[in-house]
Amino acid sequence: MSKISLQDIKKVRYRWLLLGEAAWNYEKMQGLGYCYSMIPVLKKLYPDEADMKKALQTHLQFFNTHQEFAEIILGIDIAMEEKEGAASLEAVSAIKTGLMGPLAGIGDTLFGVIANTIFFSVGSYMALEGNPIGIFLYLIWGVVRVIMRGYFIRIGYREGTKLIENLGDKMNRVTEAASILGLTVVGALIPSVVSANVPFVFKSGEVEMELQAILNQIMPGLIPVLLVLLVYTLLNRKGMTSFKAIIFVMILGIACSAAGILG
Amino acid sequence: MESLNFIQIILLTLYAFIAINDAIHMDFGLNRPLIAGCFAGFVMGDLAFGLSVGATLQLMVLGVSSFGGSSLPDFMSAALIGTALGTISGKGVEFGIGLAVPVGMLLVQLDVFARFANTFFQHRADRYMESVNIKGIERMNVLGVFCWGLSRAIPVFLCLVLGSELVQNFVAYFPDWLSAGLKVAGGLLPVVGIAILLKYLPTKKYTAYLLIGFVLAAYLSMPMLGVALVGAALALMAYRKSGEKELVKSMEGADEDE
Repeated sequence: MSKISLQDIKKVRYRWLLLGEAAWNYEKMQGLGYCYSMIPVLKKLYPDEADMKKALQTHLQFFNTHQEFAEIILGIDIAMEEKEGAASLEAVSAIKTGLMGPLAGIGDTLFGVIANTIFFSVGSYMALEGNPIGIFLYLIWGVVRVIMRGYFIRIGYREGTKLIENLGDKMNRVTEAASILGLTVVGALIPSVVSANVPFVFKSGEVEMELQAILNQIMPGLIPVLLVLLVYTLLNRKGMTSFKAIIFVMILGIACSAAGILG
Repeated sequence: MESLNFIQIILLTLYAFIAINDAIHMDFGLNRPLIAGCFAGFVMGDLAFGLSVGATLQLMVLGVSSFGGSSLPDFMSAALIGTALGTISGKGVEFGIGLAVPVGMLLVQLDVFARFANTFFQHRADRYMESVNIKGIERMNVLGVFCWGLSRAIPVFLCLVLGSELVQNFVAYFPDWLSAGLKVAGGLLPVVGIAILLKYLPTKKYTAYLLIGFVLAAYLSMPMLGVALVGAALALMAYRKSGEKELVKSMEGADEDE
């Protein structure tokens, strides 16, 4: 007998759809929203207060992934907790952190960059000719995505139950493959989405040399790579939160701009 | 110079409040400059004007997407303000766009502010968790809606009430070093999102794939979809290979049993 009905899953889905990122913050990012979305299910599963507290604590932790793909993780999570209760929470935490990286990389590329570029380039060119029809393309795409997300959470829930049944190495293999895809995409994101231009120009007599051109000859995207390395190292230190890292990068940006190093 | 009527100001302010909350959830596109410009044009009674301002701003941010919580110039609010104040100024579309661009660049700071402010709700929710106060946690999440909404609604409201002259003056008096610095910082911020992803991915184990992705984009300028396809191919190969390994292992196990 299942403790969770389709109705409960729908409640989680609508909470995430409407308010999942309402309290997005630099410290735990989607953490609060994820916890908020899971609450209808948690109420069903944990009549015991100690279990409930442990579950709330697990879900309030750092979480950040792509909006649409998050529903797959929610589905898997519901299935796991339904089956094993509070005992599954540690595994749930591992699955959440294991899947959020790859899914964020893939989702941000597919939905964020590619779909938006296609829809809005068409829509904008039509609008410049005074035709607002292109806008409706995106509204339709929005409806399609909302429906699609309903399937995501149910697929996650269904497959999640199966994953529990024949656990073992298959889950590791899937996570491993997803991580490879995720890392390949993230590697490409570094030179594409980070913009750091060095305006400095060497002058000696008649010869002018742009520092950026020299840096590009050493390696294109050198500064973005160094910065990612720096922040990555910082984040691995104890007591470092994403909140502090953001402040650090902002101050660094303003300082480098004022010093004429970046611009 | 004419000014906007009360209903127009309220409609545009409400739109800004709703649009940003749409952007982070369902994303029907209300937060895109194109659609915001179209709405503002409709409200102001000059649809073509709104479409031109919106489309021009849209093309400037095409393909730019918030990644890992980085902030983008707020061209949604900018499209509303540029269209509304541009229409009543009677100075043409170029004036509307010229007003909108610096406003959008400045307003990015309020996006950062909203994300900061929400940290407060997260802390409160963490505290409610200690006493298993579920209602409290739920309330903290819902309150976040106002942080987001007001971060857009307040500046739009103020700009529309104050009018284009004051807005231009404010933009002009904003120190150059600071706005240049914030622009640089905005370009660097995706670094944090990427570093967080790397922290949660098995980066040390699979550094090779990170390098492959980087080389494809940095040296070969391959578009993102191409990189994703290469990544998918590599993932498939790894999945097959690990499957074979398992098969061998289980066969060896069977041999030992005999």
